Amino acid sequence: MSPGGVDHEKIEGAVIELDMMTDVFNRMVATCASKCLSQRYAEGDLTKGESVCIDRCVGKFIEANKVIGEKLRESGGGLNPGGI
Amino acid sequence: MDFSRFNAAEQAQLNRVIEKKQMQDFMRMYSSLVDRCFNSCINDFTSKAIGSKESTCLTNCADKFIKHSERVGTRFAEYNAESHTSQQ
Repeated sequence: MSPGGVDHEKIEGAVIELDMMTDVFNRMVATCASKCLSQRYAEGDLTKGESVCIDRCVGKFIEANKVIGEKLRESGGGLNPGGI
Repeated sequence: MDFSRFNAAEQAQLNRVIEKKQMQDFMRMYSSLVDRCFNSCINDFTSKAIGSKESTCLTNCADKFIKHSERVGTRFAEYNAESHTSQQ
């Protein structure tokens, strides 16, 4: 590939990676909101409890991704989720 | 993500893709926020207009959710930075 040219395969790879990260993030936002946020909306700020819950939820979500990813790789179902 | 492995032309193309995706993401966030807050705040249909209680609830709901996704983003970025450095 000449310098200054565009390697389309490389771009495509980066876009796939970006899409995957965005997907993980969006699912994490939705899941942790439903698990941590009170539905009463008495105030616009996160409470102390909600904040702690969100931090732990994100950590566990990522951990869960790794655990499941490992399992899938082990079973070698032809899939390579690649982790995050 | 680390874009240093791309040349200028590739970075320009990627930036265009990212811009488009950010726009899509914004629209997706907008409609999901309306869904979420409408469902939790608006339950009374005895009047046509949004009442002051409902309006406060909607504002709080949107505020809270935006703060929530910012916090998730910060933590997510921290975890990614961590796993990135531990790989090197």
